[in-house]
Amino acid sequence: MVHSRRKRKEKLENFLFTIPAVILVCMMMYIPFVMSGYYSLTQWNGIAKEPVFIGLKNFADIFTGKSSFLAALWFTIRYTFFFVIVSNVAALALAVVLTKKFRLSNFYRGIFFIPYIMSMTIVGFIWKFIFTSGFKTFYDATGWGFWNLSWLGDPGMAFWSVTLVGIWQSLGFYIVLYIAGLQAVPGDVIEAAYVDGASRRQTFFKVTLPLLGPSMTTCVFMSLTNGLKVFDIILALTKGGPGQSTYSATLAIYNEAFTRNNYGLGSAQAILYFLFVLAVTQITLRGMSRREVDL
Amino acid sequence: MKRKLLSMVLAAAMTGTMLAGCGSSGDTSSAPASTQAPAAATEAAEPAAEAATQAAAPAEGDPSQDSGEIYMFIASPEYADAINTLIDQYKSVAPNVTINYETTQNDYPTMLKAKINSGDVPDIFSSTSGKEIDTYMDYSLDLSDQPLMDVIDPGVASAMASPSTGKGMYGIAIKGNYFGLIYNKDILDKAGVEAPRTMDELKAACEKISAAGYKPFTTGFMEWWVYKHIGQHFLDAAAKEAGITAGELVTSIQNGEKKLEDYPIAYNNFFDFIDLAVKYGDDKPLETDLAGEEQAFATGQAAFMLGQGAWVEADVLKIDPNIQIGFQGYPVDDKAEDCQVITGSDQALRINKDSENLQAVLDFINWWYTSDYGQSWFTDVAGVVPPIQSDAKSEFTIIEQGKAEASANGSGELAIVDSTDAYNQVFGEAVQAYIAGTATREETAAALDEQWASIDGPQAQ
Repeated sequence: MVHSRRKRKEKLENFLFTIPAVILVCMMMYIPFVMSGYYSLTQWNGIAKEPVFIGLKNFADIFTGKSSFLAALWFTIRYTFFFVIVSNVAALALAVVLTKKFRLSNFYRGIFFIPYIMSMTIVGFIWKFIFTSGFKTFYDATGWGFWNLSWLGDPGMAFWSVTLVGIWQSLGFYIVLYIAGLQAVPGDVIEAAYVDGASRRQTFFKVTLPLLGPSMTTCVFMSLTNGLKVFDIILALTKGGPGQSTYSATLAIYNEAFTRNNYGLGSAQAILYFLFVLAVTQITLRGMSRREVDL
Repeated sequence: MKRKLLSMVLAAAMTGTMLAGCGSSGDTSSAPASTQAPAAATEAAEPAAEAATQAAAPAEGDPSQDSGEIYMFIASPEYADAINTLIDQYKSVAPNVTINYETTQNDYPTMLKAKINSGDVPDIFSSTSGKEIDTYMDYSLDLSDQPLMDVIDPGVASAMASPSTGKGMYGIAIKGNYFGLIYNKDILDKAGVEAPRTMDELKAACEKISAAGYKPFTTGFMEWWVYKHIGQHFLDAAAKEAGITAGELVTSIQNGEKKLEDYPIAYNNFFDFIDLAVKYGDDKPLETDLAGEEQAFATGQAAFMLGQGAWVEADVLKIDPNIQIGFQGYPVDDKAEDCQVITGSDQALRINKDSENLQAVLDFINWWYTSDYGQSWFTDVAGVVPPIQSDAKSEFTIIEQGKAEASANGSGELAIVDSTDAYNQVFGEAVQAYIAGTATREETAAALDEQWASIDGPQAQ
């Protein structure tokens, strides 16, 4: 009896402790989410006092190509694809190097992590300066045509510039996660592999890499969501230009709702995008965690 | 028991602080220098304010009798210091009125919408003039019967009328403005050319200038708003040729009755001009932003600066105080008289018609426009083109030359306000795509016709 009363009390306490968080999350996430669900069925400019209910017309407009949302979605998919692959491969490679014991290894870890501390907007402005003025100076000094490309002014190049800066900025974060994972790989297993006559390469691909499964799941998942959410770096670097060639899905939604005053259409795009992100991340997460191995 | 109590207190405290944190996070942009009275004093003043408003309402406003708070949330952060000076000065006229002035560096429309949706409509807020006058009509007071009507510049006043009915005055302006072609007199002299007023003269001038070793244009084509500033000169000339106003021309395309191609000056000449600017312009046109443009012009590399107006002069002078600036309209066709500067105001300050303290707000803006201090504030403190009829001399070359140009050749209509900035941004992006070579002239024009109708057309309203 005493035991169960105590348990009940504990339950009550736990409940009380979660209330502040629950209230906040509801206020900031769930209630606005439900409201935007309603707005997606209306035509509303975000200013007029009453939204007009128009049913599913907004969704129809998106799929019949009346808005440029699908192009922005395609941009985001391409960006995310390169972002996930390059940042994970590069971070893993650098993490392997940085876990080796050599002078200044801690210093290098710090160097790689610093961009991640800076705000995306600041990184964007710094790189905008580098692409426009910095590269020009390099070109004047070296005369290599590479520096004189229009990195932000050419629609094709702008995509690579944005992707490059995105990867550069977040690389340090994934390096840290991979370093933690690498340090958790037990030394005796690797030693055993050596004793069994495995080469260095075999040890890495057959022993270390499978044991890194949990780190990899985390990193891929994080880079996937961060790639899909890309916004501020584009706003600071290109504002979606030149033309509309670097509009990401999030930037397109923002523009539709707040610049073009189509709050209803913007909400509909946001809902669609939410479902898309949900599907992509769930499928990836399932696939990744199934491949993890335990010792 | 003690532990339970403690946990409850902690939980309550956490909720409290976190909610408080949320509350204040909305005000991060509040200008540090704003004249905020202590909270207690303001609260005490509020009941008195209501009584005062009711008493003062029928009479012509007497600012010294007003009291209470005015909440002013406006764009144009560049004038924050000047506006704070104005507010301090008003304190001596109306000691019982507290003006809470707030501005933001960017994203003003989004923040304004958030405030309006949460029911916290500022007493004074900003929008662009022209098309957006109707957008915020639900909240905006018609100022046509106010004393400031006697002094406001007619060009500014016409931009504040409702575009759908052509009536009313739904805002005032912080400043008038001049839009046109800025050029470096020294470079033109060295190349031996006169400032060109027709397209042919412009082409000839470009050749001579580049032969003299200078870059004819710096364009700022990375910014979407540069295009609307250039485009409006062509819209004006096209409208003149068709015998209508620029507003009517824009409306005819927005309604789908006409196409851009039906107006040759707005279509052929505009794109010819863009081609010319790219040919003789910056090495990487789509990578040059406002800062890059100012730099190229002020360091004497480029002869013409496109898409800008009176606002760049201060920045340019900071780089080279001795630069000889010339200012005139754009060469848009083969008629020199079509080369006109454009004047007007593209920003509007709107008055919330449901303001709790309306009389105090009206007294403030009337004082601003009609009092001696208020009138001299525009030139002496803010250093802007006065939005009122005034003879005050300006220290800025562009403003003085703009005035001279406007009185000699007349001034064009401010056509950028006939479309919303939502469309103007799409317009800029479409021309960027044209410059990048991803769309042809015909494709761009077709896309613009469609977007113009879908964003600003009758069904969009």
